Amino acid sequence: MSERVVTERSSVLVRLRTSWPSVAGVAVLLLVLLVFPVFAGVAYLKAGQYVLIGVVGAVGLTLLVGQAGQLSLAHPFFLLVGAVSYAVLAGDSGDSGDLVGLGLPPLLAVIGAVAICALVGLAFSPVSGRLRGIYLGVASLSLVFLGLYLGQSLDMLSGGTSTGRPPPTFDLFGFRFANSDPAPTILGVAIQKQQRLWYLFLVLAIVAYLLARGAVRSRVGRAWRAVRDNEAAATAMGVNVARAKAQAFTVSSAFAGLAGVMTALWLDLVKPDENEFIGTYSITVAISYLAMVLIGGLGSIPGAVAGAVLVNGLPQVLTLGATEFGWSIGTLSPVLISAFVYGAAIVLVVLFEPGGLAAIGRRLTTRQGDR
Amino acid sequence: MSAPGTVRSDVAPLAVESVTLRFGGVTALSDVSFTVEPGAVHALIGPNGAGKSSCFNVISGLYRPTSGRVRLGEQDLTGTPPHRLAGLGVGRSFQNIALSPHSTVRDNVLLGRHPLTRGGFLAGGLRIGRRTEARHRARVEEICAFLGVADRLDSLVAALPYGVAKRVDIARALAVEPTVLLLDEPAAGLNATETAEMGVTIRDLADALGISVLLVEHDMGLVMGIADRVSVLDFGRLIADGPPEQVQADPEVVRAYLGVSE
Ligand SMILES: Nc1ncnc2c1ncn2[C@@H]1O[C@H](COP(=O)(O)OP(=O)(O)OP(=O)(O)O)[C@@H](O)[C@H]1O
Ligand SMILES: [Mg+2]
Repeated sequence: MSERVVTERSSVLVRLRTSWPSVAGVAVLLLVLLVFPVFAGVAYLKAGQYVLIGVVGAVGLTLLVGQAGQLSLAHPFFLLVGAVSYAVLAGDSGDSGDLVGLGLPPLLAVIGAVAICALVGLAFSPVSGRLRGIYLGVASLSLVFLGLYLGQSLDMLSGGTSTGRPPPTFDLFGFRFANSDPAPTILGVAIQKQQRLWYLFLVLAIVAYLLARGAVRSRVGRAWRAVRDNEAAATAMGVNVARAKAQAFTVSSAFAGLAGVMTALWLDLVKPDENEFIGTYSITVAISYLAMVLIGGLGSIPGAVAGAVLVNGLPQVLTLGATEFGWSIGTLSPVLISAFVYGAAIVLVVLFEPGGLAAIGRRLTTRQGDR
Repeated sequence: MSAPGTVRSDVAPLAVESVTLRFGGVTALSDVSFTVEPGAVHALIGPNGAGKSSCFNVISGLYRPTSGRVRLGEQDLTGTPPHRLAGLGVGRSFQNIALSPHSTVRDNVLLGRHPLTRGGFLAGGLRIGRRTEARHRARVEEICAFLGVADRLDSLVAALPYGVAKRVDIARALAVEPTVLLLDEPAAGLNATETAEMGVTIRDLADALGISVLLVEHDMGLVMGIADRVSVLDFGRLIADGPPEQVQADPEVVRAYLGVSE
C-alpha cells in the first residue's frame, strides 16, 4: 500500500520534471491574462471578453461535433435561449411592466439559464440521436429558425426586436459587476465594470475548459469517441449509444447557454435578431462556431480555444485597428476581412492538416521534446 | 506471458437453445442448439453463408431470434438490451477491427472498463474517482501485457500493423472482464506465424482466466488445434457438435465442406 503511494508520488515528480516547460507556459499565460486589464483599455477588454465567449461556446461545440461526432448548427439557438433565460430569471418586469421577470439572484439565474439550455438540448436529443452527419446538421439548423421566430413573437420574454431588454447586472454575493465609486484598484488601475466582466469571463472560460478537458479524458469522453467511431463496438463494450448521444447534446447545449448569458452581459442587451442571416443568434454565428472547432481541430479542447481566438478575435482586432490606428483595406469591413481569413483557414485545414491547429501544436511541441 | 489474474470460478454455461432466425424468406438459423461449457474453447464453423455471423449476432444481442433463446447460466440474454451484455460478462471482438483509429491503444482498451465504472460528465469534468481510474488503468496494462501489446499502449491504433490491431481488439473485449469471450474470426487476415501465435494466446487466456471462448473461425488448423468442442453449421442447421476429432471425421461435415453430393 505505502509502496503504491511512493510510486504514485514519484511518477507525479517525473511528470512534473518532464512537463515543466508547459507548466511554465501556462503560468505565464495566466499571469498575462490576469494583468491584461491593467495595461489594456476598455476597447481591448471588450475584444478580449468576446474571445472568451467564443472559448466557452467553442469548447462546448467541439465536445459534440468532434468528440461525439454529431454535427450541429444549433449553437446560436442555445445562445439565445441562454441569454433570454438569464434576463427572464434575474430580470424585472420592465418600466412598462410588459416583461416577464422573476427577479432571482443573478448567480442563480446563470445556473438556471444553463440548466434550461441543457434541458432543451436533452429534449432535442431524440432527433439528434436518430440523425447523422449532414441530416443532423440541417435538422439542427431548424432550431435557429425556431429561435428567430420565438424570439420575435414572445416579446414578453425576449423584449422584442425593436428594443430588446436589458440583462440584469450580474452580482456575486453583493459584489456588483458594474461601475462603482470608489472602485477597487489593481496596480493603480480602477477595476470597473469592464475589468470585472473580464475577470468573470476569464473564470467562466477556465472552468469550461477544465471541465471539458477532464470529461474528455474520462469515461464519458471514451464513450463519446467510441460512439462516434463505431456504434456496434461501443454497444458491445457496454455503452448505451442513445444515452451517450443525448448526454453529448445536453452538455454542449449547456456550454452554449453559458456563452449566451455571457453574450447578454457583453452586449448589455438581450435582443432577438431581425433576420436569420446576420445577428447575434444567426446562421452566421452557427458557421463561425463550426469554423472555430474545425480550425482548432475537431474534438480538441485547446484547439477550440485557438479557433475562438482566431475567429472571434480577428474581427475585433481589425475593428480596433481601424478605429485606433486607421487601418483599412479598401472598403472591406473588418468583419468581412476576418470572414475571408477564417474561410481560407478552413480550406487550408481541410486540405493540409485535418487535425487543425491542435495537430500543428502537438507536432511543434513533440519535436521540441525530441531534441 | 504473465497470467492476467486468477482463474474465475463464476463462469456459467452459455446455452443457445433452439434458435431460429429468419430474414424475410431466408432462414439464417434453424432450430440451432449448443452449449458452450465453462472454461471451454468452443469453435463455430461452417461454409460461407452457413449462419455463423448470424448466430454470433443473436448471442451478442444485435439480432433478435425469431424463436428460441440464449441463456448465460440463469440469465436470459434474449430480451436484454445489447449494451447490457458486457456488464453481464459477455465480451466480444470484431471481425473487421472496430477500434477507434485516432485514439491510443490505452484509450481503446480502457473503453472496455465502461460497464465496470460509473460517472457522467460532471464526475469526469471534476476528475472525481481518479483513484479508481488508476486501478483500471493498471488492469488495462496487465491485459495488454498478456496479449503482447504492452509496448504499444501509447501508439495510435491507425499506426498499428494489422496483426497487432487484432490483438488490441481482443484486449478490449477482455477488459470488460468477461466470463464468455466471443471472438469473430480472430485469425482473419493474419499470416501463418501470427495465426499460430493467436491460437496459443486464445488457449492461454481460456486456461489462465478460466473463461469460456466461443470463436468463429475459417482456419481449420487453428480450430482443430485449440478447440475443446466444435459446432458445425450448414445452411443454418447444426449438422455436427462434438470434440474436434469426432467432428473432423463426420461424413456430413466432410460433405458440407467439400460440397460432395451423392
Ligand atoms: N441482415 C441480413 N439480412 C438478410 N439476410 C441475411 C442477413 N444477415 C445474414 N443473412 C443471410 O443469412 C445467411 C447466413 O449468413 P451469415 O452471415 O450468418 O453466414 P456466415 O456463416 O457468417 O457466412 P460467412 O462465412 O460468409 O461469413 C445467409 O444466407 C445470409 O445471406
Ligand atoms: Mg460471417
